[in-house]
Amino acid sequence: MNITNFDCIVIGAGPAGLAAACAARDCGLEVALLDEQAAPGGQLFRNVESPLAQRLLDEKDRRTGLDLVARFRAGGTDYRPHSTVWAIDGTAVSYSRNGVSERITASHIILAPGGMERPVPFPGWTLPGVMGAGGMDILLRSDCLPRLSRQEPVVLCGNGPLLLLLACHLLDAGAPVAAWLDTGDTLRRLAALPHMPAALGDRAYLAKGLRMARRVLSSGMPIIRNVRSLRAEGDGHVEQVRYTTSKGEYRLPAGMLLRHEGIIPRTHIPNALGLAMTWDEVQRCWHPTTDIRGRTSCEHISIAGDSAYVHGGDASLLKGTLAGIDAARRLHVISEAEADHRSAGTLRELRRLEWARGFLRHIFAPHPDIFAVPDETIICRCENVSAGDIRAAVREGFTNVNEIKRFTRCGMGPCQGRMCGPALAELAAQASGLPPRQVDMLHVRMPFRPVPLNEYCTLNGLGYEENHTA
Amino acid sequence: MSNTPGKTVHIIVNGTSVEVPEGVSVAAAVLGHSHERHFYEHSLDGSKRAPWCLMGVCFECMLEIDGRPNVQSCMVQVAEGMVVNTQKRPAVPGENGLSDQGDRA
Ligand SMILES: Cc1cc2nc3c(=O)[nH]c(=O)nc-3n(C[C@H](O)[C@H](O)[C@H](O)COP(=O)(O)OP(=O)(O)OC[C@H]3O[C@@H](n4cnc5c(N)ncnc54)[C@H](O)[C@@H]3O)c2cc1C
Ligand code: FES
Repeated sequence: MNITNFDCIVIGAGPAGLAAACAARDCGLEVALLDEQAAPGGQLFRNVESPLAQRLLDEKDRRTGLDLVARFRAGGTDYRPHSTVWAIDGTAVSYSRNGVSERITASHIILAPGGMERPVPFPGWTLPGVMGAGGMDILLRSDCLPRLSRQEPVVLCGNGPLLLLLACHLLDAGAPVAAWLDTGDTLRRLAALPHMPAALGDRAYLAKGLRMARRVLSSGMPIIRNVRSLRAEGDGHVEQVRYTTSKGEYRLPAGMLLRHEGIIPRTHIPNALGLAMTWDEVQRCWHPTTDIRGRTSCEHISIAGDSAYVHGGDASLLKGTLAGIDAARRLHVISEAEADHRSAGTLRELRRLEWARGFLRHIFAPHPDIFAVPDETIICRCENVSAGDIRAAVREGFTNVNEIKRFTRCGMGPCQGRMCGPALAELAAQASGLPPRQVDMLHVRMPFRPVPLNEYCTLNGLGYEENHTA
Repeated sequence: MSNTPGKTVHIIVNGTSVEVPEGVSVAAAVLGHSHERHFYEHSLDGSKRAPWCLMGVCFECMLEIDGRPNVQSCMVQVAEGMVVNTQKRPAVPGENGLSDQGDRA
């Protein structure tokens, strides 16, 4: 029999969700975990149980990941992979699994959908061969490196720790890399300096970063600073990359262009639920308003991991543990005193990490100019809405992104504004002279993932079982 | 677990059988092993498109898989004998039973 009522439902099987499920189970809660991937691990520990995926993890991450997944599997959580959550209504969670939609309920819900790369449009970014750096990392972990050559090499462009990691992985894989085009903000990097002493509180992390930086520098990969006006060009596939620096305009032949401008929280679920959100002025992104235990503006919903704020994989694990314990406290399965006792060590460790990593927020702050793209740039890939269309809408007097969406269709396609939302807000802010926080964020309606109509109709409880395939 | 190095399955991409690692997504397999230049053509302007994220965010990895069009191929694992086709300019969103996004004006 399929159980449909739980104490706690966790969404996402990354470090945060797995740790949350383990902690909640340890306290005695009945837990279900829904994740759309085939295996537990999320982004950092993607497919960690398979030797193929383990190759790219360093020894510490591999051990942490394997241990976490083993504890999770042994802990008795009702784990439902291949399950894409598309709605939350009160205490009910609806999800689609192998073409069938189901609904389960719980007294407490922990969201842990993780982060995503900040999508930053530029002319030519819809050309095949142009990808996010994270996408390439997933290809490398899958042993699916696309065909490249000295004549058709990889060009890296952007700013952020994941780009450094990817550069090392590409070097390890022997992939030809023509150049690293740095779009970072020197002033912001200087602003990070006062935070650097704190970083010494996290020497292992700092050492790993420096090791990777040395690896890239010693490889002889050209690193080009202050890159602006990036363009991908080609006929049906990227063939060359164009950019400017203070010295002039340059071109590079390329078989792939990988862009990265940092990781931002995935906010579609908290947004659709109307949870309170905060704008981060330095990282230029929205994140749900939470305390250190992941409590949100809605009592029975908490958020853990990078979806609360991007602090990285090890912090995500700690945040998950705290959210799991706090769920048991809220449901009175453990006392306040026991919750405090169980969380004390984790809390201390998380505070230390967050303090030590304060500098990353500044060092890898996105340069506001990356959104100053020419009018012809496609912003909404689904509906082919250009930067010019958005600027025209602002000239018509629309300044709220939701009005601009209705006027231009920007954000109305299948990705539901995931790829264009941040850029739409930045462009609207630039064109109207308002700060980004004041142009609002795209409101997400449920379902927050597209669901085939026939699945709606066969959702358990609705009783409509006829085989309509639309 | 799902993929051991060396363990492979065969999928048929645009009529050609390709050997790919077990346990990976269809999108990754097609990019890395059958080297298709694009996945589908955009319904509005016919422009050629291919995956951006490989993690379920961008919806740019639409392929026809075992006869079903517009499948988000980065979220589907490869399976022995799977038939995969890149797509010509597809039908309008909504045709595959995709629900509307609510506020279509
Ligand atoms: C592309 C990418 C690559 C990265 N690579 C590295 C790396 O190599 N090293 C590193 O240290 N850090 C990396 N990071 C950062 C790292 O992923 C995070 O710090 C860490 O994985 C966050 O853990 P999490 O549990 O919060 O979320 P994640 O690990 O992202 O897990 C979230 C899970 O939720 C699932 N999910 C999301 N929405 C839904 C839904 N609606 N229904 C069902 N399931 C859903 C996702 O499929 C995923 O499995 C990467 C991040 C990204 C985005
Ligand atoms: S590649 Fe982005 S959703 Fe599949």
